[in-house]
Amino acid sequence: MAAKIRQLLRLYALYGRMDWHFLMRDKRTGFLCVISDWFATLSSISGIALLAIRFDGIGGLSADEILWMLGFFTLADGTTWMLLGAFNNLHISRRIGRGQVDHMLIQPVPLWMQLLTGGFMPFSGNSGFLAGVILTAVATARLHLPLTPGWLATLILYLLARMAIAAGCSFLTGSAAFYKPVASEELSSVTLDALNAAGKYPLAALPEWLLTVFMTVLPVGLMAYLPSMILLHKIDAPLACAWPFAVSAAFLSLAGWMFRKGLKHYAEHGCPRYKDMGHRC
Amino acid sequence: MKAFLATARLCVRNKNDFGVLWTLGEYLLKLISLLAQAMVWCAVLPEGAAVDGMTRRSMLVYIAVSSALAPLLDVRTPVSSWLHEGTMLDLFRRPCSVYGQLVAHTAGSWCIPLCCYGLPLLGIASLLGYPPVPASPWFFLSLALCVAQGFAVDFLFACLLIRMNNLEWTVHSIRNALTALLTGGLIPFAALPWGLGRWLELSPLGTLAGAPLALLTGLGDPTRLLTAQIFWNCTLWPLALWAFRASRERMVSYGG
Repeated sequence: MAAKIRQLLRLYALYGRMDWHFLMRDKRTGFLCVISDWFATLSSISGIALLAIRFDGIGGLSADEILWMLGFFTLADGTTWMLLGAFNNLHISRRIGRGQVDHMLIQPVPLWMQLLTGGFMPFSGNSGFLAGVILTAVATARLHLPLTPGWLATLILYLLARMAIAAGCSFLTGSAAFYKPVASEELSSVTLDALNAAGKYPLAALPEWLLTVFMTVLPVGLMAYLPSMILLHKIDAPLACAWPFAVSAAFLSLAGWMFRKGLKHYAEHGCPRYKDMGHRC
Repeated sequence: MKAFLATARLCVRNKNDFGVLWTLGEYLLKLISLLAQAMVWCAVLPEGAAVDGMTRRSMLVYIAVSSALAPLLDVRTPVSSWLHEGTMLDLFRRPCSVYGQLVAHTAGSWCIPLCCYGLPLLGIASLLGYPPVPASPWFFLSLALCVAQGFAVDFLFACLLIRMNNLEWTVHSIRNALTALLTGGLIPFAALPWGLGRWLELSPLGTLAGAPLALLTGLGDPTRLLTAQIFWNCTLWPLALWAFRASRERMVSYGG
């Protein structure tokens, strides 16, 4: 166990170093990439933030509470991206659909370890994480939320649950690429985009049936809304508080099962996407 | 014209590069996003109430039409990805104008999203009591000007991509960030705080989706918006043509 943890840390250090070299190799390009990421991050939440300011809150949440929810969303999405985003590790259907799982299988490192560490990009991919930290901190201060160790631990736990749900959904749908490599190549992107597109909105005005859908099979309500309501002390029912963890466990288990099943299929059939000359068809 | 139509027809058939699953996923994504936006408008605008001319009904029509006509309101030719992957070179070898081919490809690629998503969505909106009937007939002229201007803006972004040595993802991110907020496709300018909308609606990006949608819902002044659209079309097209011609020698593609 200790050896595995040491190997994990070594891999994180290695990928961190590679990411630093990516930024430094061509400083102008690296700078532009980082700036565009900051731009995209802030733009994605500014619409809903401006609406909250204009209408003095949305759906029972004040403008500051909306800002906090957007901060949580940005922080969670940014952390997921920073830890898992590089080399299409999070958009796994691209790697599977392009036949690149072969590259991973020949490495002298277990597949799970590569999937866990290979996406780490602490320098070029930290814009969402940093923006999330700043937004959440500002909103926390404006709302005078009591910063206790227990509250911070709860915040981290909900961030982890949210990351697990996003990764689980991506791997669950992305596993289809083992069977239909071309048609499913972009399924993980579509899934993650769907979660993020609606995940930053307050869901208070939804009808009951749609809220149920958004809290279960298509868990956009767990991307920011429900965790924020819990952390802002607006919901304290034990079932609601435990729900994000239950859903994340369910999605991770299902994704793991589907991925292993798909991998067996891949071992038999492979992925004939490349021609001899190296072109992908 | 025959070559133009043949290219457009080819692109209708060619649209489904990633298959039905991907296309359906894309439509599902748009629907989810639309539902979330509708929910926000229902939350901030009570039924029957009007804030600065905005009613729940007009805002729901606004976002439904914005989603249904998205390919026209935010024109994306394939030029950026073709520059990246090398397909662009083929256009120069054919006996047609490069711009004409790009316009034909783009127009062809509109058919499936408009028929399979746009029209059904507008039909559903009408059945739900939100018919997309324009408040002003100037909407149609504004939409045509918006499409024309959209091509010019797209060519300018392609020139930016060439200047930035094919950093496709970076330019894509910057463009998405700009268009999300500054074109008025997501949020009507009338709904922005601090009077921001009055300035943005006349900007080169603001006259894209924002102008026709404002005229559709009766939120904008036709004279003011159409004048701005004509001005930007007259300014951006020569600029785009000049910039594209000047960028030709800098084009680099990966190919493969």
